[in-house]
Amino acid sequence: MWDRRLLRNLDYQLLLIVALLVAIGLLTVYSATRSNIALDYGDPSFFLKKQLASVVLGVLGMAFVIFFDYRLSDLAAHLIYLINLGLLTLVLFFGSEVSGAKAWLNFGVFSLQPAELSKLFLILTLAKFLSEKDINTPKRLGLAFLHLLPPLALILLQPDFGTAMVFVFFFFVMLFMAGLKIRYFIWILVVVLILAAAMGIAHFVFDVPLPIKDYQINRLLVFIDPGRDPAGAGWSVRQAVIAVGSGRFFGKGLFQNTQGQLGFLPEKHTDFIFGVFCEEWGFFGAFILLGLYFFLIWRSLRIAQQAKEKYGALVAVGVMAVFLVHVLENIGMNMQIMPVTGIPLPFISYGGSAMTVNLIFIGLLESIWVRRQKILF
Amino acid sequence: MDLKGVLLLKRRITILFLLVFAGVTVLTGRLFFIQIIRAGYYQQIAEDQRLRDIPLQPGRGIIFDRNHRPLAMSFNTDCIYAIPAQVREVKETAKTVAGILNMPEKRVYNLLTRNLSFVWLKMKATPEEAELIRQARLPGIKVIPRAQRFYPQRELAAQVLGFVGIDNQGLEGLEQYYDRHLRGVPGSQQAEFDSRGQSIPLGERRYIPPQDGSSIVLTIDERIQHIAERELEKAVLEEGAKRGAIIVMDPMNGEILAMASYPGFDPNNYQEYPSALWRNWPVTDQYEPGSTFKILTAAAALEEGIVRRNSEFFDPGYIMVDKTRLSCWRAGGHGRQTFLEATENSCNPVFATLALRLGKEKFYSYLEAFGFGARSGIDFPGEGRGIVPPPARVKNVELATFGFGQGISVTPLQLIQALSVIANGGYLLQPRLVREVRTPDGKVVEKYEKKVIRRVISQETAEETALLLESVVKHGSGNRAQIPGYRVAGKTGTAQKPVGGAYGTERVASFLGFSPVENPRVAALVILDEPQGPVKYGGVIAAPVFAAVVRDTLYYLGVPPETSQEQSTGPQGRAREETTLRSVPNLLRLTREEARRILTRTNLSWRELGEGDYVMEQNPKAGAMVPPGTKILLYYNEKAKYNVKSEPLVLVPDLTGLSVERAGKVLQEMGLKMAPHGSGLAVKQVPAAGTRLSPGMTVNVYFLEAGM
Repeated sequence: MWDRRLLRNLDYQLLLIVALLVAIGLLTVYSATRSNIALDYGDPSFFLKKQLASVVLGVLGMAFVIFFDYRLSDLAAHLIYLINLGLLTLVLFFGSEVSGAKAWLNFGVFSLQPAELSKLFLILTLAKFLSEKDINTPKRLGLAFLHLLPPLALILLQPDFGTAMVFVFFFFVMLFMAGLKIRYFIWILVVVLILAAAMGIAHFVFDVPLPIKDYQINRLLVFIDPGRDPAGAGWSVRQAVIAVGSGRFFGKGLFQNTQGQLGFLPEKHTDFIFGVFCEEWGFFGAFILLGLYFFLIWRSLRIAQQAKEKYGALVAVGVMAVFLVHVLENIGMNMQIMPVTGIPLPFISYGGSAMTVNLIFIGLLESIWVRRQKILF
Repeated sequence: MDLKGVLLLKRRITILFLLVFAGVTVLTGRLFFIQIIRAGYYQQIAEDQRLRDIPLQPGRGIIFDRNHRPLAMSFNTDCIYAIPAQVREVKETAKTVAGILNMPEKRVYNLLTRNLSFVWLKMKATPEEAELIRQARLPGIKVIPRAQRFYPQRELAAQVLGFVGIDNQGLEGLEQYYDRHLRGVPGSQQAEFDSRGQSIPLGERRYIPPQDGSSIVLTIDERIQHIAERELEKAVLEEGAKRGAIIVMDPMNGEILAMASYPGFDPNNYQEYPSALWRNWPVTDQYEPGSTFKILTAAAALEEGIVRRNSEFFDPGYIMVDKTRLSCWRAGGHGRQTFLEATENSCNPVFATLALRLGKEKFYSYLEAFGFGARSGIDFPGEGRGIVPPPARVKNVELATFGFGQGISVTPLQLIQALSVIANGGYLLQPRLVREVRTPDGKVVEKYEKKVIRRVISQETAEETALLLESVVKHGSGNRAQIPGYRVAGKTGTAQKPVGGAYGTERVASFLGFSPVENPRVAALVILDEPQGPVKYGGVIAAPVFAAVVRDTLYYLGVPPETSQEQSTGPQGRAREETTLRSVPNLLRLTREEARRILTRTNLSWRELGEGDYVMEQNPKAGAMVPPGTKILLYYNEKAKYNVKSEPLVLVPDLTGLSVERAGKVLQEMGLKMAPHGSGLAVKQVPAAGTRLSPGMTVNVYFLEAGM
């Protein structure tokens, strides 16, 4: 299993990109938290240290998946699927509730977000399922949906709509990558539209409650009309845009994020960390950051293309889709072109589970890359 | 994988790549829009929401008396406020704060739970209270210094000075009139705030210092003001008058040396007094002057040459004017008399005759020339102009009554302004209260010089009138205004108060005069409104007040007394050797016994005021030259010195049997308020009849329907 050639064949450019992103993330988390919220814990680098610990954990996980294989036996796939459902069920019963969602399993020194881990697990099992047989039969397609549904439902029960949306996104991207014919996509679209219409009619005619909460409706309405509720739901988006805009071309410099430090920007180290980054580094920094993400995603696609088999390609594309949707949604909502959902910016936002899982994703990509077709022994 | 599958895969990857590229391009475009095209806009918003200008209060200028003794000044006091949103453990905090500030706990609790961003807990906290609050470090409870206006002499000249509101803006009196100079220019400090509105200690700052207000130097002399207020209070209380006023003026330049009205108020706590007491009524209010007004008639008649000092008149006790009989104040009349004697006697028919001889046109031209019916232009807000009936409505009878000061209304200020014309040789001067405006560092920015409005009468007429007035004091109705050692000219006045068109029983006793006649230094007007004593003549009750005020003022100003023969022949008939002046000994810090012994030895008398063992203040001061027998006022405590006495108390009348309306009226007239209970006739009252109350207090009156 251990092979020196593995090291020689690693995609070092990808690793460099990720290293840069992680470094920027650590610096920005420190900058966003050092002057106030971290002080509640009596240590300006409290959040930095916790984040660093997750990076270490993530690098270990990454090494693990590089050196062992990414390919799964049937048994392993089934096991992973069951563990996935198990964790998501556990969190519903024993999770601690933070801002309305039961998302965290508390283990004393650290807490785990099963939803983050679930992305990893679902990508692996789904890729395995899709790579087995041709997807272009109604039965296989239906089975694919059945594969998605249990974890998705459990996520929605938390409720965590951001992650659910991520699930749906990478599910479709993986279906696309699995070669699902365009006409099936059209059928799916038609069914979704009919379902949505039916739900709407049921709500307005028979007063059946919609399966989404008021604050989510509010977020959507605010997205459509930003002037609505400027002190409430519209507040954070407005402050984020102000943060981004006031950074101007070169930014205000490191530790100069007044929007965050003075408490105008909420969730400044997680959901709205992009605002903090932009305020400090301006268009110049944000452009480089976007460039890094673009490179990361491009690299993921390239790895998918070079994968030894369909399974690898599907895993790589799933990972790529996760990164893509996180970047588009998070940065988009910071600039008011996406509605607000609580999903973090990969490698930058504070959050241990996400960081660890993202690094394991990189491990998967590398693992696929070193075992690509053209590998020369 | 088969080739077909690989090709499909590659195509789909390409499609995905294009999608990614499109997404990233959209993000970059949006980024460009926000951070470059609209960057200025967002930067402005970011600054607006975190940077705010805090106004910085400028120091208010000081009001000095003419010798630079402060009458109104500002200093910082600690004020305690709360930001309810930041208060944690409200109950505990309320308890602690209430303990420190000595306030009811419930009240503090209520303040802390108000739905306001900011509440004052205590203005003017003591330094100890402020320190304890600071030490307690309670979240949301803060101390800030605020400039507080302080009137060190309390009631002294209160109506003239006025007072300021909570934001140090001039509300009344000179504080209002000179607000523009006194208030200064506020500065500002730009400070950084966080989203909860808390100031960030090391945030960005821009500092524009406030410019303190200018100081004003009054024409008023604190000592003379003090003399006037002391004598006025004494007289008002002794005569049971409703109120009283004294104006002391330098007749040569129009400067007001003192302007007192009683009862007054303490501007440090002006809210505790009825607003009627805030008014400086010698400037704002008008009254019928009565005989003091004869000065104008005399001067005009002399100037026009229709009378001379020895012109002869006969007073049968009345005068018929167009079939209306105008009586002399003395039943039976004064008979045959010269004009000099008629002035001494204040004979109404003679002055009516003079007014008629002058004629309406001439008389009105003198009214105008002397400044009646018009504002004097004194630097004070709300000056009255008096009432001079329009000439068209004036017939001979009215004209005749004007001659002796009836049917016409003047402000006290107009009257003393007119008298000054006689004293200074014929010039009408604009009276003034402020001499200079100075910057905080003492540079004079504005200086108000003597301002002559016009020449009214000739030097000769002025001198001739002055001699007539001197005679009034020497031999006539004003003899109680004599001041040993000084020549005094003056005129008494006892006006009937018109009540709804007719004249009632109430009087206004006054005396108007100046001294010394040969070189006038002091003009003064004393008014006692509605005296209740057995005698209400101005010559009896106002003239002695005038004498006391002017005498002490002349001593204080160091005006040398005349030691001519004339004094000894005065009505008091003092022996000449006794008039030798002596120096007042210094009695400060002596016991009552010691002070009395020393005064007895120096042949002076005394009057003791206040409780206490040691002399805290004396008047006249040590070193002043006074004639023997002069009363030295000895103050045994600080309170006595300032004549502190908020308002005269009134006796609660017996209201039994009165209707609600009637009882309300009775109480209203006494300055009391009524809280009626029930209806019908009064059967009970709390407090009981005979209780002494301060004006403005409330009497509960219980009424029952008759027959029940």
